[in-house]
Amino acid sequence: MEKTINLTVNGETRSIAVDVNQTLLEVLREDLGLTGTKKGCNQGECGACTVLMDGKPVSSCLVLAVKADGKTVMTIEGVAKDGSLHPIQETFNQKGAIQCGFCTPGMILTTKNLLDKNPNPSLGEIKEAISGNICRCTGYVQIIEAITSLAKEKNARGGV
Amino acid sequence: MTDYKVVGKGLPRIDGPAKAMGKAIYTVDVNLPGMLYGKILRSPYPHARILNIDTTAAEQLPGVKFIMTGKDVGDVRYAFVDTPRYPADEHPLAIDKVCYIGDEVAAVAAVSETVAEKALSLIKVEYEILPGVFTVEEAMKPDAPLIHEELLEGTSAWEDWGVAQKKQQREAEINVNNMSGHSAISFGDVEQGFKDSDYVREDKFELKATAHCQMEPHAAVASYDPVEDKLHMWLSTQGIFLKRFLLSKTFKMPIGKIRIHHTFVGGAFGGKIDLFPYEFCAAYMSMKLGQPVKIELEREEVFMATRQRHPMVIKVKTGIKKDGTILAQDIKVIADNGGYRGSGPIVVFLCHGFSFPIYNVPNYRYEGFSIYTNSGIRGPQRGHGAPQIRFSIDSHLDLIARDLGMDSVDIMLKNIRHQGDLLPNGDRLNSCGLKECLEGAAKSIDWENKRMQFKAQPQEGRYKTGVGISLCAMFSGAMYYPFASAAIVKMHDDGTATLFTGAQDIGQGSYTTLSQVLAEELGIGLEDVHLVAGDTELCPIDIGSFLSGTALVTGSAVKLAAADAKRQLLECAVEVLGVDDIGELETQDKRIFVKDDPEKSISFTQAIQTSVFKKGGNPIIGTGSYKGYSETDRYPSLAKCKGLFTGAYGFAAHAAEVEVDILTGKVKLLKAVTYHDCGFSLNKTIVEGQVHGCVSMGAGQAISEEIVLEKGQLFNASFLNYQIPISLETPESVDQLVATYEPTGPFGAKEVGEGALAGILGAIGNAVHDAIGVRVYSLPITPEKVLRALKN
Ligand code: FES
Ligand code: FES
Repeated sequence: MEKTINLTVNGETRSIAVDVNQTLLEVLREDLGLTGTKKGCNQGECGACTVLMDGKPVSSCLVLAVKADGKTVMTIEGVAKDGSLHPIQETFNQKGAIQCGFCTPGMILTTKNLLDKNPNPSLGEIKEAISGNICRCTGYVQIIEAITSLAKEKNARGGV
Repeated sequence: MTDYKVVGKGLPRIDGPAKAMGKAIYTVDVNLPGMLYGKILRSPYPHARILNIDTTAAEQLPGVKFIMTGKDVGDVRYAFVDTPRYPADEHPLAIDKVCYIGDEVAAVAAVSETVAEKALSLIKVEYEILPGVFTVEEAMKPDAPLIHEELLEGTSAWEDWGVAQKKQQREAEINVNNMSGHSAISFGDVEQGFKDSDYVREDKFELKATAHCQMEPHAAVASYDPVEDKLHMWLSTQGIFLKRFLLSKTFKMPIGKIRIHHTFVGGAFGGKIDLFPYEFCAAYMSMKLGQPVKIELEREEVFMATRQRHPMVIKVKTGIKKDGTILAQDIKVIADNGGYRGSGPIVVFLCHGFSFPIYNVPNYRYEGFSIYTNSGIRGPQRGHGAPQIRFSIDSHLDLIARDLGMDSVDIMLKNIRHQGDLLPNGDRLNSCGLKECLEGAAKSIDWENKRMQFKAQPQEGRYKTGVGISLCAMFSGAMYYPFASAAIVKMHDDGTATLFTGAQDIGQGSYTTLSQVLAEELGIGLEDVHLVAGDTELCPIDIGSFLSGTALVTGSAVKLAAADAKRQLLECAVEVLGVDDIGELETQDKRIFVKDDPEKSISFTQAIQTSVFKKGGNPIIGTGSYKGYSETDRYPSLAKCKGLFTGAYGFAAHAAEVEVDILTGKVKLLKAVTYHDCGFSLNKTIVEGQVHGCVSMGAGQAISEEIVLEKGQLFNASFLNYQIPISLETPESVDQLVATYEPTGPFGAKEVGEGALAGILGAIGNAVHDAIGVRVYSLPITPEKVLRALKN
């Protein structure tokens, strides 16, 4: 059964006919061609499919597309502005927080949410925030370093 | 140290921005017009004969385009190990028998995954269930059911290339049921060594199967073009040329008719080397239909039906002098390779290969068996045998040290190998920083003060801490198809260069480090390097990103190619700059200048123009190739453990500090220290990342990771139940490079990123013993095992 939903993705409003049992992840990847959002497990256990829905991180493989009707969604493709990297993306790359890159989109969106809410997270809060995002490559060390340095930078600039 | 401009710096990776923006295309992201979706039907039984497959109902389902079974394919065989002694034993789809739960039985291509899934449920398979064997002990019994009765014939890649020795005799003398591989070697006189020892001890260790957990699931897209009669493939793989070779062999298709295209790889860790049935089936169905077919495995399938690390039982017996000198060692390894051979014969060879470069043992005997059981297939996984063997030997030495009241670090120091040592097989350690690694790691973990072994007072309270240490070694590439790497450096008018390499960046950063090697050698910036990689049509052959050969083998090829381009540039400049010889010239920042008079210079652009005008239009293309060894007649023998193994060994020492909660039995890794000798670090940030990744994976496998099997049934095929480390478990991590210089590697570099996993397991095991005073002999060290050990 199909249903038409309206959703704002990365600032653009889209009207899409979706199947009622399609997930948001499938709609993003298959119908909208936004393959930056990754599918690591399709079971809500890895965080690779994380997107921000109305500003909050969700596992898009667990969200039915019809539930996203009327919502605002930000995917990794919406993070860089005018082709230049967002400071989080830049710092992740500088600090070695990206290896195979498969967890990276989800990790960056989770980080964005953390720093938007809490510009000055403690080490514990950083580890906690990304605990739902699995990364097999980095052992998290350089990811944690990247987020820590972003927090410092933000503070030095008096918050953004 | 030489002041390098590009190598040795912690430069950000060149593929980072694309990955950070979600623009990097992985195989799972490939979408082609008219693409169909494939799914695989798998056996629900660990061991059964297939009596009949009825696909009629499935065929009638609207949207189903093709259904294939073993009957369509026939007796096609392939495998990671494919030698006269060990012929290939895997089929794309089972012909008459299935050997593990997950074994491929049929494949479907349909208009959507949903339809394909539905079609699978309509295929009726009649099985006759056969008795299964699930442990190596059961499987080796004289009356055990045989998993592979048939005697197969085969030829190897080496024979196909005319470089193999004559056909080997099958080992009639070894009569072990369900044996899939056997390695044995000895030197010195082991029995005499034990007699001459002051103390002899024997221990038995056990390690469970573990999963790679690459975040990108395995996937393949195949698109056969009937007009050009060419098979195009996009594969999540570690080695495109090996894959192409195996595809060509299984499809009996000329190798030039197959093209593998570039995609990024979302993690591999050894689990994406083998040819897989889903890849074969995608290609087969695309050839039949003339339409692209994509097969993406689900996470459960990745756990169950790709590859796992070999569970092992390892016995170590050592004879030692009072002063700590090891006189004799006897090692026995039994590896469970599952329903098919996988890399069984290789892993039991490698357990020797990664054991003997560490300690100098004058009287040594090693024997390894790989055994079929009705479980998932075991293949290469980061370290491939090193974690198992290093855990066992260094746990055992720690026990000996405790028995003798000695410090295990002293025993290690007394017996480790040094630079210049000649290994019994003929490999020479041209670089070896083991001693510095060991001393550094011990110091960094504060060994003297934190070691509980020598404390008079036991620790109070619920939480006990302890420290442990262990060592490891790894090859830097080995002789495996296609044996060598080549590289091409193409100059552009603006003085920048394009690197063509067949290497795969599986996350380990090879695109960046190889580009750095080019930039340094040629005298340009990293930003001046363009890259074409991972495509069998566009790029020269490459050994592949496994067995840790990329830095040394491909890196050397790239350096030679860059040097070749540079030489051509310099030759053009000789006349223009009025010098006699290219030796008087140097390059930097895309310019050539006279060493003694740097004011005199020309740009690369001018040199290229000169070349085009005066050298027959030569636009300057540099080429280079490199093979681990120049000799062709000393390839390693898996069975006899003879021949040269690798050009260089990477080394590391790990130290761990753990905290054990004696109430719950939970082990927490507080601090992980790695001192590693990778010769020279081509990129500090990337090398550190490799080490952190190794430590995390190794720690997971020491503490929590385990594939839980019950009569061949996998019980934890999900991230929820298979406990891979998450951010909250990240320990304090120290890693320190011990700079040696590997003369055969580019700028002195050799292996990193694989071996550095192997020592952390033993370090953690020893630290747990130090904390609670008792030993856990099997990995992972789960709370139940800790509590059981404490109770006894
Ligand atoms: S794909 Fe959604 S959580 Fe793993
Ligand atoms: S970078 Fe590979 S999973 Fe995180």
